[in-house]
Amino acid sequence: MKSEKRPLRIALTKGRLEKDTVALLEKIGYDCTAVREKGRRLILPVGDSIEVVLAKAADVITYVEHGVCDMGVVGKDTIMEMNGKFFELVDLGFGRCKFALAGKKGDNFYQGYNIKTIATKYPNVSRAFFEKKGMDVDIVKIEGSVELAPLLSLSDAIVDIVETGTTLKENGLEVFEDIAPISARLIVNRVSMKLRQQEIESLIKLIEENL
Amino acid sequence: MKNFDLITPEGTKDLLFEDCAVRRSLEEKLSGIFKSKGYCEVVTPGLEFFDVFNLNSRYFPQESMYKLVDNKGRLLVVRPDSTMPIARVAATRLRDAELPLRLFYRQNVYRNKPVMRGRSDEIHQMGIELIGSDSNRADLEVISSAIEVLASFENDDFRFELGDIGIFRELVNKLDADISVKEEIRSLIEVKNYPALNDLLDSIGSNEVTYALKQLPRLFGGEEVFDKASKLLNDEKIEKILSDLHCIYNSLTTLGYNGKITLDLGIVNKMDYYTGVVMKGYLQGYGDAVLSGGRYNKLLAEFGYDVPATGFAVNVDAVAKVMKQENAYSVPVPEVIVYGAEGFVMEAIKYAQSLRTDGVIVENSVFETYEETKSYAEKKKIAKAVCVSETVTEDIINGGN
Repeated sequence: MKSEKRPLRIALTKGRLEKDTVALLEKIGYDCTAVREKGRRLILPVGDSIEVVLAKAADVITYVEHGVCDMGVVGKDTIMEMNGKFFELVDLGFGRCKFALAGKKGDNFYQGYNIKTIATKYPNVSRAFFEKKGMDVDIVKIEGSVELAPLLSLSDAIVDIVETGTTLKENGLEVFEDIAPISARLIVNRVSMKLRQQEIESLIKLIEENL
Repeated sequence: MKNFDLITPEGTKDLLFEDCAVRRSLEEKLSGIFKSKGYCEVVTPGLEFFDVFNLNSRYFPQESMYKLVDNKGRLLVVRPDSTMPIARVAATRLRDAELPLRLFYRQNVYRNKPVMRGRSDEIHQMGIELIGSDSNRADLEVISSAIEVLASFENDDFRFELGDIGIFRELVNKLDADISVKEEIRSLIEVKNYPALNDLLDSIGSNEVTYALKQLPRLFGGEEVFDKASKLLNDEKIEKILSDLHCIYNSLTTLGYNGKITLDLGIVNKMDYYTGVVMKGYLQGYGDAVLSGGRYNKLLAEFGYDVPATGFAVNVDAVAKVMKQENAYSVPVPEVIVYGAEGFVMEAIKYAQSLRTDGVIVENSVFETYEETKSYAEKKKIAKAVCVSETVTEDIINGGN
């Protein structure tokens, strides 16, 4: 039977979430040496029963959605932007920050009747936020440092992830409004959850006990 | 100007040879099962009026439908679902027919999906609808047919899952909250987002209803689910739903699919016309449900014909994908190619026809010479070449076969 043979496959978002998740798995008692000394490999064994796949945040969702990975660790920011079909079972608590609307310090963003321009890496999150307010905005997708856009007068404000607020402060920007809190989530493919219920539930129990 | 003349639109694809072979074999298998149970095939138009899918209950979000305008300026959609057109047919042309109606379909549905996510916009579906009976017997017939269909795929592992949307409906009706909050609760239960669901329900209040709603998405698995669910809430209606479901579950165990039939009381899909028992089927190797269905007792009433109904649909493309991974499907290679020498072309065509008995595939050669015919036969792995002139000569080309 195939289902018994393949280890449980977990996709981790490369970078900080990966490190935090590895720490969590080690706390539970899994041997993560292979992940710590990964070199350039992208699929790594953790003990006998788990396999870790390293991927970019958005790809974690894609892999889990298609069921080629059973579970994934990914930030709520990516989940909100991508809107996939999967179970979002556990708030892992690390990787905490927030989505916020920010702009030049002292500006009154909501003043006036002009259509506002918003610069962001997260066009879907931005659109949903302003749709809820019943407000028309122009959204400009930016790939790099979004903070530049209001400084160069490309946009009236930005929608971005704010962690400590230092970058904003140093560039003369401030948070106008919080949009949503963010943290790392454990997501599970809908079919894996049913076909491998016991394995997944016992792992989740261990994770919840060690958070 | 940029031309798109060499590619197909996103979310669609050409099916070649093996793909067609798998699809057709699945179609044959399923229509065989459906016909043997007395279901009759219907085909509904690929284009329907938008209004068919824009009923009071707004089952389909408009952004998910492909739309166009007819020559009178009316809004049309490319069929996004088969159950609603079939409900329309049942409520109109089949209104005087003897109930229950047993209908089946095999046709494409089209849904506008987010691009670049690797899922098709064009989905080939087959399914049945049993219209006009609200009895437990009707549920059991449709459910056991669904299980029979899943088992017929001979997959390594399948799961058939039952739930009942009524439990969520009853619970949420008792909640003092406005519709948008209820919708948020539904969506959190659907994605089993336990932490956010707990936070939201805590903010509404702490009582037995919010407690029950918090537990709902966790209630999936085997028969033990009924024990856990019975402790949730003392409510006559919910107890009735649970005991009916338990009854169905027990009946199904006699089919002998031990451990393959499970429960999930947290199935609460959006834009559902379902009113009672819901079902889903999963196969090892595909990341989403390949079968889904349930009871929809209010849908036909929206077309002016108040009768209950139940049914399910199979995503044939998804099953085909899994089957293709597991089994080798091959397209049959012709066994013989027949070449007619100059002046003997019609003779060759007649000779070839005489060989086509018992399903033997025989190609007519379109090449000018027998040499070209043989070299083509070698590349195409055709076993035998035949030359028709005054006499008939045969050459074994690919002896290995």
